[in-house]
Amino acid sequence: MTRQLKFAFNRRQRGLVPFLDRVLTAASRHNAAFLLFLVCCGVAVIGAFVIRDLQAANAEALRTYSSIARGLQQIGELQYEAQETRRATLYALTTSDSNLQVEYADQSRNADQLVKDGIAEYGSHAKRHEETELADCLSRDWTSYLGVRDEVLSSILEGSTKEAVSLDLSGGVPAFERVRKDLNEVKRLYGEDAGRSQANLVVSARRSSWKLVAIHSFTLLLSGAAIWAIQRSRMLSAIQLAKLQMEFVASVSHELRTPLAVLNSAADNIADGLVVGKSAMKKYGTILQHQSRSMGHLVDEILLFASTEDGTNKYVLQPLEVTRIVDSIVLETAGLVAGAGFVLDRQIEPDLPLVLGDASGTSQCLHNLISNAVKYSLDHRRIALRAFSAPVDYWSGREVRISVIDRGIGIDSSEIEHIFDPFYRSPRVNAAQIHGTGLGLSLAKRIAESMGGRVSVSSELSVGSTFTLHLQIAKGDQMQMVATSGLSASSSL
Amino acid sequence: MLRRLTAILIIVALAVWPQPEAAGSSARSSSAAAAEQGTATVPLVIVVNRSNPVNELSQAELRKIFLGSRSHWANGRRITLVMRDPSDLERKTILRDVCGMNEDQFKNHFLHGLFTGEILVSPKILSTPAGVRKFIFNVPGAIGYLRISDLDDSIKVVRIDELLPEDKGYKLHVLSQAGN
Repeated sequence: MTRQLKFAFNRRQRGLVPFLDRVLTAASRHNAAFLLFLVCCGVAVIGAFVIRDLQAANAEALRTYSSIARGLQQIGELQYEAQETRRATLYALTTSDSNLQVEYADQSRNADQLVKDGIAEYGSHAKRHEETELADCLSRDWTSYLGVRDEVLSSILEGSTKEAVSLDLSGGVPAFERVRKDLNEVKRLYGEDAGRSQANLVVSARRSSWKLVAIHSFTLLLSGAAIWAIQRSRMLSAIQLAKLQMEFVASVSHELRTPLAVLNSAADNIADGLVVGKSAMKKYGTILQHQSRSMGHLVDEILLFASTEDGTNKYVLQPLEVTRIVDSIVLETAGLVAGAGFVLDRQIEPDLPLVLGDASGTSQCLHNLISNAVKYSLDHRRIALRAFSAPVDYWSGREVRISVIDRGIGIDSSEIEHIFDPFYRSPRVNAAQIHGTGLGLSLAKRIAESMGGRVSVSSELSVGSTFTLHLQIAKGDQMQMVATSGLSASSSL
Repeated sequence: MLRRLTAILIIVALAVWPQPEAAGSSARSSSAAAAEQGTATVPLVIVVNRSNPVNELSQAELRKIFLGSRSHWANGRRITLVMRDPSDLERKTILRDVCGMNEDQFKNHFLHGLFTGEILVSPKILSTPAGVRKFIFNVPGAIGYLRISDLDDSIKVVRIDELLPEDKGYKLHVLSQAGN
């Protein structure tokens, strides 16, 4: 199975796909949430573009329609006021009352002022040469009509009705006809402008539609790519996990086979009667004891990892004395340390406060760190166990740290971020035939975090490593809690 | 018979005589008369269209115009006389101080002139100062009168005997509205 997976991987190690796979593998470590976040960002940006485009199209449509409506209203008002100018003049003919005649003359003059204003506004908004010329022509024709109109009004007010009618027929009617034609021309030009605006609007609407289609397609494409990437990321993640589990099984099998082989061989020798004498028997007993303990420890480690993985292992946090923790772990690992020919230096800062933790948890955590130090220290057989207090960070209070310092092979900086991953084994370590399951540091980290602490590492290749367990200092109310159940706490130590 | 004839002549003379005497008395400044009575007056101005080249008129010319004896301006434009309602105080002042007539005499004069053809057009009657202003503004040959407070830039004031309303010796004054 492992070979098939490796083969499958190797076959893809060419071209763009391997690069994508590396990226997706990296992304898979942070779960698919990151990719989903990217997709959401993409959709939000696209949505913003769509909304902006629609708003621009709506604004353009609104501008066009309001411009058309305003233009039509202006033209309508211009025509009405021109008619009103003439109507009021002619009404003055219908009465001999000078007061009424003056009122009609006044109405006519008010209307003609509005027409003048309207023509001036049309001229000021004229963009094309044709429009400017038309505005000038209209202004001239209107002035010409007003000249006649003034004469007609004067005649009416003087009481010369016949003269007024004659003047209007000879000069007023043709002059007003010219004005009417000019106004029709204004209307025609405006109709052309409105037609062009509508055509532009249609083009703009069509462009917006195409943009929407393009953006929609792009969104679909992006969503498809994201789904593909998420699925692939999950698949790669599953493959990687399967690979790690296979390696773990192989590693555990190997770790079990060695003591089993020793046990088997020792049992065969005893059964075959090859072990004779009390001293030889004692030697074989020691071997059997050591190997069975080694196997038991391995099985315990696997069971502990399984319990932290599914969250069934709950720690009871209580105030603990640092000295007791250190003494306990020194005692517990004395056989391991001495058996490997190591010396454990114990340095405890005086007057350390009580820490918050679980006795078995801290013990297991430190045991794993010391075992690692023993395993990866080659010739320099000295390990330091140092307990001290230090500030958490610039803003927070203090904490207690217990460091395990070795002068071993050290860790490459590129591997530092992986060493706490479950089942991770450094290629360098594998090459050096140093056995292990890849669970020790992962377990230590999980246990520390379960107790509200953490494990940190600083290392230099070929110089040594320092693994530090950070523990919270117990506070007042937690001390109170201990006072009520102090016996059980101390008995667990 | 002779006694009857003499009596009729005396009655007619009595009926006619006092009125010219009243008109003649108007030769005195109306403002002086008003001052004697202790009432306030405001100048009454003669106004024409701004296009009219005439800037000054004599009292005699003004009388001719207001009595319809003169029908055209020097530039050939027909003169259109604008007056207020008969009940109006300004009209009474003009009739008294310019025409030297009362309302009835003025009416009779125009009736007679129109009947005989000596006068071509009767005066136009406007009921408000604004109406007078607008009429004169619209008709180039129009002439009328206004209180000085009713003036605006749309029309032009002419001097009378070289005097403007603010000059000393200006004769046309009307009782102020408060004094009415």
